[in-house]
Amino acid sequence: MVEGMTMREQRVTDTFVELADTLVAGFDTVEFLHTLTERCVELLDAETAGLLLADERGSLRLVAASTSETQLLELFQLQEEEGPCLECYRTGQVVTLPDASQVAGRWPRFTAMATELGFAGVHAIPMQLRTQVIGTLNLFRTHPNGLDDNDARLGKALVDVATIGLLSERAVRHQEMVTEQLQTALNSRVTIEQAKGVLAERHGVTTDQAFTAMRRHARSQSRRLGEVAGEIIVGEVDITVTDTANQRHVRP
Amino acid sequence: MGERTARVFAWVAAAAADGEGDGRISPAALCRAARTRLQVDGVSMTAMTGHGMHTPVAASGELAAELEELQVTLGEGPGLAAFTFGSPMLVPDLATSTARWPGFATAARERGVAAVFAFPLHTGTIQLGVLELHRAETGPLTTEDLANVLVFADLGLQLLLDSSSGVDRRLGYRPADEPARGRDAVHQATGMIAVQLGVGVAEALARLRAHAFTSETPLNEVAADVVARRLRFRPETEPDEAPG
Repeated sequence: MVEGMTMREQRVTDTFVELADTLVAGFDTVEFLHTLTERCVELLDAETAGLLLADERGSLRLVAASTSETQLLELFQLQEEEGPCLECYRTGQVVTLPDASQVAGRWPRFTAMATELGFAGVHAIPMQLRTQVIGTLNLFRTHPNGLDDNDARLGKALVDVATIGLLSERAVRHQEMVTEQLQTALNSRVTIEQAKGVLAERHGVTTDQAFTAMRRHARSQSRRLGEVAGEIIVGEVDITVTDTANQRHVRP
Repeated sequence: MGERTARVFAWVAAAAADGEGDGRISPAALCRAARTRLQVDGVSMTAMTGHGMHTPVAASGELAAELEELQVTLGEGPGLAAFTFGSPMLVPDLATSTARWPGFATAARERGVAAVFAFPLHTGTIQLGVLELHRAETGPLTTEDLANVLVFADLGLQLLLDSSSGVDRRLGYRPADEPARGRDAVHQATGMIAVQLGVGVAEALARLRAHAFTSETPLNEVAADVVARRLRFRPETEPDEAPG
């Protein structure tokens, strides 16, 4: 540890380095976005996080969620076309909701669903480069109260660094690059879903267990998640899947 | 069905029903609709396999078809690259691509083509071909055109899948769309069915879609049943309800 730095400061510094470092060999966008959501949950006062990416057809798709409840709430917003994460995407502004139960008039269905799932606060941060919003990183809390100013600033900084890391390197042909990157990431995510199904059926486990096992395997081999998923689908590799795979889930 | 998906489908249905169409929702109708509704001069759809097979499926005109043939002959070009890399290849000015595709860029420009936009017809590892647009003027696609062409490509993939199972020739055919909620289940069910049937994921998805059409059940509901193991597919027969 650098002298004078607290453990948390060290962790924050490491995370910035990690998120800025997108030019390493074997870089995988979907894995990167999963990492971003995980680091936000670790470093900020939020229990879970979800990440939505623009599909360029005018809506958003869920790319990462740290729990199945978060996944449900994100998909619910996409289906119902209302909620703070969509508002954040449409306006390009941070949307902060200290207590979801206080905004029932604005988003009645969202509020009911959030309460049902045990969430109180939401803090949605746009992933924005210049004027284009390419997605949102959404933090969820089980207790009312907004993020404090420090956490809100840190969250914004983490998301900005990640967005710039993803998109700005090839800014010469900006629009074409954004489209290629987004569409490739969204398709890679589909590949991962298909591979989850293949593994779940082959081993008689849930799709969540299949995902955990696949991700662990990719990490231990320092391979891209999307590539490993592709190989699983065509039957080139099989991986160990056990019931303990489910331990990743931290319930809110 | 989302608003944009519904609109694009209506365009294709209108092209299918006009004087040149045969009434069927087909790749030919799709290419003509895209040519009319987007700010481009021609559109083509090509089926491809990873083994280098190329089959022209439809084109809105001779030049669009010729551009596809050129790429096969030369072994290079944005359509082939879109298929190989599984990513859109957006070339708003072919003059800047002479280093990347020297043969194709030159030949296309000689024919008056200035911009080419190629989109893979794919979902995950299922890759069935490419939708390609060309234009005589340089410049990027507008945001609106880009959004629409991505939906045209989604529809193109669905048409190829449904034609492989023969569903597209059934009475009252219209391709099933994937809703926001339940989309993941469709992809997961595809992987599960591939294992159940011992087939590739493309065939698995075609079977899933055919079952949804035949049983008149929304695609995401059939997929949810597969993921929850209430429904299993067996080779050469209709799927069974799981016992219990």
